Order: sequence, then C-alpha cells, then structure tokens
Amino acid sequence: MRLKLFVILIGAGLTACSSFSPKTWESNTIPIDYTLAEMETLETEISPYRDTLNLSMNVVIGQSGENMIKNRPCSALNNWIADALLNDQDSLSKILKPNMVLLNMGSIRSSINQGGVTLGDIYTLMPFDNEVVWVKLPISVLKDIEDYIRASGGEPIANAVFNKSGLSLLGEQEQTDVFWVLTSDYLLNGGDRMTFFEQKLEVLYTGRLLRDSFIDEVKKQGNLKIDKNCRIDVTQ
Amino acid sequence: MLRSRRKFLNEAIYLSGGVVMVKPFFNSLLADKNEKKLTILHTNDTHSRIDPFPLNDAKYPGLGGVVRRATAISNIRSQEENILLLDAGDIFQGTPYFNRYGGVLEMKLMTELGYDAATMGNHDFDAGIKGFLNAKKYADFPFLCANYDFTNTELAGKTKSSQVFTKNGIKIGVFGVGVELDGLVSKSKFEDTVYLDPIAIAQQEVNNLKKKKCDLIICLSHLGFDYEDKTRASDINLAKNTQGIHLIIGGHTHTFLSEPLVVKNSSGENVLINQVGWAGLQLGRVDFTFGKRIFTKHEIVHI
Repeated sequence: MRLKLFVILIGAGLTACSSFSPKTWESNTIPIDYTLAEMETLETEISPYRDTLNLSMNVVIGQSGENMIKNRPCSALNNWIADALLNDQDSLSKILKPNMVLLNMGSIRSSINQGGVTLGDIYTLMPFDNEVVWVKLPISVLKDIEDYIRASGGEPIANAVFNKSGLSLLGEQEQTDVFWVLTSDYLLNGGDRMTFFEQKLEVLYTGRLLRDSFIDEVKKQGNLKIDKNCRIDVTQ
Repeated sequence: MLRSRRKFLNEAIYLSGGVVMVKPFFNSLLADKNEKKLTILHTNDTHSRIDPFPLNDAKYPGLGGVVRRATAISNIRSQEENILLLDAGDIFQGTPYFNRYGGVLEMKLMTELGYDAATMGNHDFDAGIKGFLNAKKYADFPFLCANYDFTNTELAGKTKSSQVFTKNGIKIGVFGVGVELDGLVSKSKFEDTVYLDPIAIAQQEVNNLKKKKCDLIICLSHLGFDYEDKTRASDINLAKNTQGIHLIIGGHTHTFLSEPLVVKNSSGENVLINQVGWAGLQLGRVDFTFGKRIFTKHEIVHI
C-alpha cells in the first residue's frame, strides 16, 4: 500500500456563494479480480443470457498454438487478420485480385489466446458489424496511406510491406496507375480519420461481414497460421 | 492497492506587482468541525464485458466481471454513506452480449449496481440511435450529454446535459461531454446528432452548476485523456482551458491511471483527471472531504 500526502492549492473561484468546499481528496483504484466474491443475485440475472449465448458462442472452431496480441508497429495478430481478409473468398475474389489489405488497430478488440478458438473469441476480436469492401484508388494514394501508417505507428496490412523506403505493394499489378484495397466500410467512410479513402475511384460492396471472413478463415486453417514477420518498420 | 492522498486548501495569497492580495478564504481549523465526506466511484469503457476475461486470456486472464464489480461496490456501500457511482461511456460493444442483446443486459446490470449517471461514448451509438433508446429503457439513471445536440433525432429530450445530486447537504453538479462522432461513428448511426465544442459547452455547464450553488463539479468525459495533436479536444485540454471543474472522469483512450493526474485550470486551480482503463478491469474511487466555508474578509496588504 502506497500512502502519500500532498498539499495542493485550489483557487479563489470556488468561493462563489457555495457553502462547502472540497478540502482534501484521496484515491484508490480497485482491481476487479478473483478476490472479490460473486454476488449470487446478479449471477442469477446474467445466467439466462449467458447460457443462451454459450450454446452458440462456445463452439470451438480452430486452435491457436500461441497467444497473439495486437501491437504496433506489427504483430502476428495484425498479420493474421490482414491475411485472413486477403485469403477470403468473397463474391468478388473470383474476378478481382486485391493489391493490398488495410485494416486498423482500433478494430482489433481482443487477443487470440493459445488453445481452442471459439466463435465467441472471434466475436470478441471483431465485435463490429463492419462490411468487407473493395476500394479502387489512384496509385498516388499509396503515399497517403504510407503517411498515415507512419503517423499512427502501424496498422494491419497484407500483400504490402513498409520498410525504410516506405510502403510498397508486393504482388503483381495489372494496372500501374490504380490499385485495389480490401478494407472495411468503417474505414472507407473516414473511420479512424483515414480520409484518403475520399479519393476512391470505385467501391464494390461484398455484403460480407469482416467477422465472417475471420470465422471462415479460422475454420479453414484449423491450426492458425502464425506469421511473426514484421511488415512495418516506421523508424527512419 | 494504490492509494494517494491530497489536500485541497484555498489559495489565500497571490503576488501581483509587489502587492500581496489576500482573498476571502475559509479557515481550515474551523472547517474540520463540519467535515463531510463524499465517495466517487467510477468506471469507463466497460465495453459489454459482463463476464471476466477467460482464464487463458493473453493479457487479462480471469480479470474483470460485473458480478465482482458489484461486490466491490457493495463492500464500499457498506462502509460509506455518501456515494456517487458514475460511468464515462462506451458501455456497449466488445463481446457477443452486445451483438446478441443490443446492450439491454449492460443497462439492466448498471441499474442493479446503482449507477447514478453516465455519459455516452462513441460506441454507445453502435446500435444506432434507435438501438441505444431500446437498451436505455432498462437504465434507471440519466445519460448526461451536454455537447451532443440531439434536437433532430429520436434522442431529443431523452438525455440531459447535467444533473445535480445532493448527498448529506453537499451539492454535486455532474455533466457529460462526448467525443466528435464524425470519423469515429458512421453517420447512419448517429444520424442528425450535432457535435458542439466540448470545451465551450463545459464552461457553460460549469457556470450553470455554479449558479445552482454546487459545491463540487464533476465532468464525465468521453473525449480521451491526451493526444499527440494538442489541438484535439482531450481531458487535458478540457482541464486546462476551463475554470470550475474539480474532477474529470475520463474515458475513450482506455488509459490506466494509477492515481488521478492534477492539472491547473485556466485560473491556476487544480483539476483532478482520472480514468480506469477499460473492460471493467478496475473500479475508480476518489474520496473528497468538505469543510464548511467561513468567509473572512481581508484587506489588501502592502509589503
């Protein structure tokens, strides 16, 4: 237990016509952990909701050999979600090839933990009902994405690499003046201030949830493929 | 357990061009006889984390959980008489509970825990305005949103900008401010909600609460603790650029502060800023003692 005593001054502005004044304060941050007993009355209230959810959400759909935690500039989890989208078979992937995948750190909401991966884990990883979208951009926007990633310190990407010379696409490009980015409708619409998407030339909506891409990819892989190679080096 | 203790004293003297101005102040010796205590408990960004994290979680194995939070709160309620329980937003989104039940269980449980007020975070718009209203039906506490103008939405008249609570004779004014929604939430979700400058609005709210003779002013903020872009509205900016707030309970940036940060406001007075991470991993607690103010008029003294 840490106990400190400080003296601080508060201003004269408080004197305006009130009758009490805060004189001292102290703070105490309480960790919520197993040492606290569980109140039965509340348990009873939650359990019908939990039981119904668990029927569908506790289904194990794959296995992870390691813990994967999101991180900047890069992490195995960042790679995994971007690759999942790259490998996804949506209605358009038969006729089009994405030149890169760009997602955002903010949309990864939890870790993938070592052991069985449940449907609920993927809902918790990606709780948002965001849709997979294909966005055609002029090649000049690649520089805007590079600036964005440099400023943010890292975002999940696939089929592209960010090294000392900046951001570049890895696959073959059929056209050199435009490129297709697979992303989410949230980011397309300016989410996380990715305003460069305003320069879009064309948008194709898949009607497919990002989360469903991840769920299908877990099922397809069985044992999750873990790629620890760092795709982003923002140091200059 | 982290504990810290601070002493609030009235600023009695300041120097100005060689003249010592003595301002009215309360005599702290007399004040001790009338000391009153108030306990503020708070959460932020609980994100539908009803259950504890799984035991195999890579970051927070087995931590959190509403049922345990209820115990922590109940333990404090058995020891303290004057408690306010507050939340700084982002109650929704993060586990299948929200996907499946749309935030209804979150609101029911917060009501059960006895929350006195909350503000709306950006994720509280994730089910759309209709979705929020549907869940809010189960909330028996007000949502305080001073800088969202909901006039042209279904939320009109369903939230308040501030609320005054009286605990053992102490008047506490609480108001709420939220983050800019454009770029964070899709327009289809927040509809015709108009975002107003949180700092200007905060000062207005403080002025109104002062007129209502509040002894303590608390801001529930979902602006975020601090940003590299210093022009962006944040709790730090809010504290520095207003006058009259005593405590900011923050959220949005999921910042774990081991104890409140003390920042000087525009008049050089202290403002406390606190935030307890996210996911209900912690419960914040700030206790204030209050003294009855005895006004003493002093003359300007030349030295």
